Amino acid sequence: MTLTDTPVDAPSEADADIGTATAGDAADSGQVVAGGPPPRPASGIIAPLVTADSAVVGRLFVGTSLLSALGAAVIGVLLAMSRANVASPTDLFGGLNAEFRLWTLHRSSLLLLVVMPLMLGVAMILVPSQIGARGLAFPRAALASFWTWLTGAVIMVASAFAGGGWGAIDGVTANESDAIALTLLGTAVVIAALLLGALIVATTVISSRSGSSSLLDLAPFSWSALIASAVWLLTLPVAIANIVIIYADLRGRPAVAFGQPESPDIWLQLDWLVEQPAVYAMAVPVLGIAIGAAGAALGVESSRHGVLAAVIGLFGLLAVGGWSQDYFTGSQDYRDGVVYVVFGLAAVVPVIATLGALAELAMRGSRTPSALLSTRLLGAVAALVLLGAATAAGALRVIEPLDLLETTATWAVFQGVTAAGIVAAVTALWQHGPRMIGASLDERAGMAAIALIAAGGLLAILADLVDGLIADTPIVFAVDRRIYDTGDTTLAVVSLLGSALLALGVAVAVLAVASAAAASARSAALSSQAAESATS
Amino acid sequence: MRTLSLPVAGPNRPRTVVVGALFATCAAFVAFASLITVYVQQRQQTRAAGGEWLASGSIEMGPAGMSMATLLLSAVTVQWAVQASRAEDRPHGFIALGLTLMFGVAVINQFWFIYQNTGFAIDAGVPQLMFYVVTGSFIAMLLGAMAAVTVFTLRSLLGPFGRELAQGVQAAAIFWHMMIVCYFLVWYIVFITK
Repeated sequence: MTLTDTPVDAPSEADADIGTATAGDAADSGQVVAGGPPPRPASGIIAPLVTADSAVVGRLFVGTSLLSALGAAVIGVLLAMSRANVASPTDLFGGLNAEFRLWTLHRSSLLLLVVMPLMLGVAMILVPSQIGARGLAFPRAALASFWTWLTGAVIMVASAFAGGGWGAIDGVTANESDAIALTLLGTAVVIAALLLGALIVATTVISSRSGSSSLLDLAPFSWSALIASAVWLLTLPVAIANIVIIYADLRGRPAVAFGQPESPDIWLQLDWLVEQPAVYAMAVPVLGIAIGAAGAALGVESSRHGVLAAVIGLFGLLAVGGWSQDYFTGSQDYRDGVVYVVFGLAAVVPVIATLGALAELAMRGSRTPSALLSTRLLGAVAALVLLGAATAAGALRVIEPLDLLETTATWAVFQGVTAAGIVAAVTALWQHGPRMIGASLDERAGMAAIALIAAGGLLAILADLVDGLIADTPIVFAVDRRIYDTGDTTLAVVSLLGSALLALGVAVAVLAVASAAAASARSAALSSQAAESATS
Repeated sequence: MRTLSLPVAGPNRPRTVVVGALFATCAAFVAFASLITVYVQQRQQTRAAGGEWLASGSIEMGPAGMSMATLLLSAVTVQWAVQASRAEDRPHGFIALGLTLMFGVAVINQFWFIYQNTGFAIDAGVPQLMFYVVTGSFIAMLLGAMAAVTVFTLRSLLGPFGRELAQGVQAAAIFWHMMIVCYFLVWYIVFITK
């Protein structure tokens, strides 16, 4: 079966929770399905420690990442307050080093503790059902990846608050140097866990598909999850190699080159992860989620399956970024090369193509108010607009005459990609509520959350991009001892507003999910009690 | 691409463990290749600036070359273990596993000698640091490969034989072979061309 001759069944509202019926039915009927033996159900408080249910592991990832998102958003607001001179770094954080530490923690956590695990969690829940498998290829390893990730995350955040982080710009004490080593260890553990999760998702898609289906039959999200996993497996190990070098130097005191804790060099060796092109790696599943959500909302499928698959694949290819590090290259900066420029400019193309696919769906699909004003469609459009704005900022950034490489334009790209990732995850949550958290979510809360996050993300992109454009000189942390390009008050206020809206949107989403999950748990408890009463 | 559910799945596709091992092997290779790349970049920059990268004669070639030969032999024995596992041949399987592990231990022993012999201090400079980072990472990878081969081979040989378990040994062998390729890079770049 090819993509083009795949039968198109217009999905209805009931079909929004993709693939729930078939795999679940198969499991209930005891039929042999792909993905290994049936997982043994676990209950009670030990369930999250022993479960082999991929959906439970996915929920653990999604729930914890949402809480991390809330924390990261609050830190973002504090940093924006400092930027807007609402309060000084000393008043807010206790000093310049602490501000730098939180600033790097904000970047790292949005990548490693929010967007990547969110995407991984969504993939762990949805991919098995979309490919006709009972569960993930290695369910125990999936659970291990979550607990390893959580352990690493706790080490990373706790050590950062204890004076660690990814270097400093104002000198360090011996204790802070030890805390920096701990932060590096936590970061490596987090990355290793994400790699394990990505490996499991990729193996599941390759090996656990139902017998008759080919890779081209995959749902857009499963395809994008496969591409994203492959890109992560090619990109994140490079960061682990960086950390090994830094850690060895830092612990083999005195540090000779790479692990000097009193300078921002440690961060500068790792910041390629949050810069283009590598930063796009976390957003690859955004394309799949957007197409799937829009298709479900409008009740129609794209007629250009092969093109969409190629577009998602192209975006993944353009997100492979381990090669673009500038720290080790000395005078020969890869970012001045033609490949970097082509990657930066070309990244816009797949996002525009996906927006085009969305427009095609809108023209052919249902135009009822319920379809057009649904969380799914709004989320799909918002995620793609944010990603489009981020890649457009990225394209501007690589145009040499604009001289934006070392300016806050870098963070415009980052903020756009992370906001797109969070919006996409919220969209998937609202689309697949029953499967993902066991209950449908409130539509108005979903629309409010998406609108707030999208507005906040766009304002943050605008502030950082314009700040970079009007800057006279690039940022040099160690020399300038500052984080932002200019002291422009208007832009700082815009950035603060954006951060506040984003934090508010994340809070709305977290509250809505928590409230629905609690209602679902209460309902399950009542059903259980009723069943027990009937039995007695 | 479909957005609707797929039909009820058929039986498992084969080689799930092997596919997983291939992904893990690729990731590990990328990490190691990154370390080697930084090593080469640093060496190039040091020399371009007129500096010296690990003084001539500071590293003996014999043990490094012997390690390469030892690992090449282990490539044969690890495949022997795979074959024995497939053929459900316990005696040969145990011999192959034992030889493979012995070769692994021999390489670690040779590196211990290299470290004693060179006597580099890790904080003496970038060349010494990178020497320890690259070779130390290789030893960590070798230990991981030895653990994987031991676990999968013993699972295959001690329990009831089966396709899944034999694939586990094959998966561990894939990682082992990648580890040998990594050592070839270390041998050529760190020891031969220094």
